[in-house]
Amino acid sequence: MSQLNYRTINIDQLDPESSVNFPMETLLPANLPAPETSSDAANVASQVRQLLRGGDTEGALRAALDTAPLGGDDRAKEVHMATVTEVLQGIRQADMTRVLESVCGGDGGAERADCLMKYIYKGMSSSGPSGGGQSPRNTISPQSTGGFSQIQARNVGEGGGGQQMSVLLNWHEKLVEVAGTGCIVRVMTDRRTV
Amino acid sequence: MSQSLRPYLQCVRSSLTAALAISNFASQISERHNVPEIESGASPELILNPLTVSRNDSESVLIEPSVNSVRVSIRIKQADEIEHILVHKLARFLTQRAESFFILRRKPVKGYDISFLITNFHTSSMYKNQLVEFVISFMEDVDKEISEMKLFLNARARFVAESFLTPFD
Repeated sequence: MSQLNYRTINIDQLDPESSVNFPMETLLPANLPAPETSSDAANVASQVRQLLRGGDTEGALRAALDTAPLGGDDRAKEVHMATVTEVLQGIRQADMTRVLESVCGGDGGAERADCLMKYIYKGMSSSGPSGGGQSPRNTISPQSTGGFSQIQARNVGEGGGGQQMSVLLNWHEKLVEVAGTGCIVRVMTDRRTV
Repeated sequence: MSQSLRPYLQCVRSSLTAALAISNFASQISERHNVPEIESGASPELILNPLTVSRNDSESVLIEPSVNSVRVSIRIKQADEIEHILVHKLARFLTQRAESFFILRRKPVKGYDISFLITNFHTSSMYKNQLVEFVISFMEDVDKEISEMKLFLNARARFVAESFLTPFD
């Protein structure tokens, strides 16, 4: 205890009145849907998959976005994320605009658009900065001359995960066309994450 | 421009345009201070959800918005060790001259190669659409620059090796 350097302690964190300890739960709206578990999300996933198999891509996307586990735990959110990604990848590029216009129109269409935008950003961040990009470089030993050869350096336009990202980027572009920039602002400001 | 680069830049453009809706906000901790809230981190309610735009695992942009400042971090494509060194040198060159770049951050966010910090003072003294354009054109140019430097470096290395080995011919 005598070794402790008291100057390095952030005393604000110990003060319950401090602004660092702002209760973030108070920012959530009161009418949040009941918390879902991962098994609920799996049920939804199977229903959505059935719609997708039946060729009703529009209904599948609508169902997936309406049942987003806004109040669920992390596991449920992950399961639902996989469902939405599957639906998005199952829709052909030529159909995107048509599907989006009908899903984002009508009653509750704006909420569905916001929800879809949340999933697009979540999909792009999920395989991103979790240490994956940086670590492989450091494993190369300084002696290895493999990195300096020009043979392997040619075909590296796409790194890993390029295919999935380009699907999401296409969806993002189309969704901004349909729903506008306000959709992105609502993703940033909404504390109900997906 | 390649097929997948255009939607990537378009996505960054619209995300940045949305994130740059910032206004003056004095510190609510200490009187007569005005700090970028994303950097101080003292009030979690003022920091918004971060957005990530990625093209693949090695190229992405992280946008961290807050009420009066936005931090934009870019991970530049690095396919091999030479590119890694070149990106490191270029980022170092730029960050050492950060004062004349206004929005450049002296130190990149962890996991990224270069960061910008845009505050409400920047958006009030510069056009918002041109700030966005600057970041986009930076991202376009930096890739070009790195691959050009790499070609130049390889040509030079070949020439050096040839002239070094001539006496043994």
